[in-house]
Amino acid sequence: MNVQEYISSGIIESYVLGLASAEERSEFESMCSQHPEVLQAKMAFEEALEKAALQNAIAPPADLKEKILNKVQPLAKIVSLPSSGKTGLLRIAVAACLILLAGSLYWNVSLYNKNKKTQADLEISQQTLAQMEADAKAIHRSGVKMARMDGTAISPQSYATVYWDTTSHDVYLMVNNLPTPASDQQYQLWALLDGKPIDMGMLEISEKPLQLYRMKNAQRAQAFAITLEKKGGNPTPKGLMYVMGKL
Amino acid sequence: MLQQRNDRAFNYLYENYSGALYGIINSIVSQKETANDVLQEVFINIWRKIESYDPAKGKLFTWMLNVARNAAIDKIRSKAYQDSLKNQSFPENVDKGIGNAVTNPKPNDVGLKKILTRLKDEQRVLIDLSYFQGFTHEEIAKALNIPLGTVKTRIRSALTSLKTMLQ
Repeated sequence: MNVQEYISSGIIESYVLGLASAEERSEFESMCSQHPEVLQAKMAFEEALEKAALQNAIAPPADLKEKILNKVQPLAKIVSLPSSGKTGLLRIAVAACLILLAGSLYWNVSLYNKNKKTQADLEISQQTLAQMEADAKAIHRSGVKMARMDGTAISPQSYATVYWDTTSHDVYLMVNNLPTPASDQQYQLWALLDGKPIDMGMLEISEKPLQLYRMKNAQRAQAFAITLEKKGGNPTPKGLMYVMGKL
Repeated sequence: MLQQRNDRAFNYLYENYSGALYGIINSIVSQKETANDVLQEVFINIWRKIESYDPAKGKLFTWMLNVARNAAIDKIRSKAYQDSLKNQSFPENVDKGIGNAVTNPKPNDVGLKKILTRLKDEQRVLIDLSYFQGFTHEEIAKALNIPLGTVKTRIRSALTSLKTMLQ
């Protein structure tokens, strides 16, 4: 199962709604850490779920808030303890202070930890964003031609896009959907010129979503195609063709 | 000071989320009094367990929603709740067993459950049983007399349809 199939398998909803088994949960968490697109899809579903829940909210009875507030105020108990003379009162006051102090220390430490985690998440997001912005710039330059490569009969679901800079001859590849290859196999990109395939390099599949791969430069090309070859590739295509598209 | 901060945090959570949580509770628990009790338990649980909330695993709301769903399901599974249903005079509420739930899906869908009404019958029943009534895949397979694998696949595909509807 490739990442896209995994995303649309219902596992995300299952996980978020608390219906996944322990095994599925830990698998999902590791998928999330390896594939940012899984994490992204999960966050989008959580967002949609929260929105739907807020839209379908039912206001609780007005008097319930006060009742609940009284229950969750831990200090209410200390204040209402029966006091026996002055020392008793002092003891309670000291105890209350200690509890307050411990509580606030705990609060600080946990806030600090949460803050660190948020900071780390933010940095990762910023890096991903910067990379995507750089990619977006590369393919939106004037003179960049696009070839949409659709899946062949053996893999109609497959789909990838080539961006070819006619000025610099740089070639970028975006894999929209390709099945995960076996460990001894690798995808190879070809440019087609007058019916002859020219090697454009091997595809090192990365985990990032909508990643642009920089391939070999092409002076001229009429079409592009991807075949599945043995690891390291072949000088001429030997394996099956997964996607093809004309410029 | 701590108390003040707590009060403020409580106010924030309550003002913003009590309605959504009350909505989910009401789509699981049918009696108003019980729903009120559950909401109270939910906020107490949120308060007690807030340290176990891990932002890396999901949004705060997702976590609270699960706390609410679990509390509501625990409640409908409790003997006291089952007994109280038996004492009611409305015949449609007498049996909340799985068999009845399959043949008579409740028409008064509130809260998040409203969205379910847009699903196909077969899918609605599965989501209702698993999410809103907390039956395990095994229990559902047994009650509906379909293989466990099929239950799982169908629930997954129902969830996928549900997601499309949320968007």
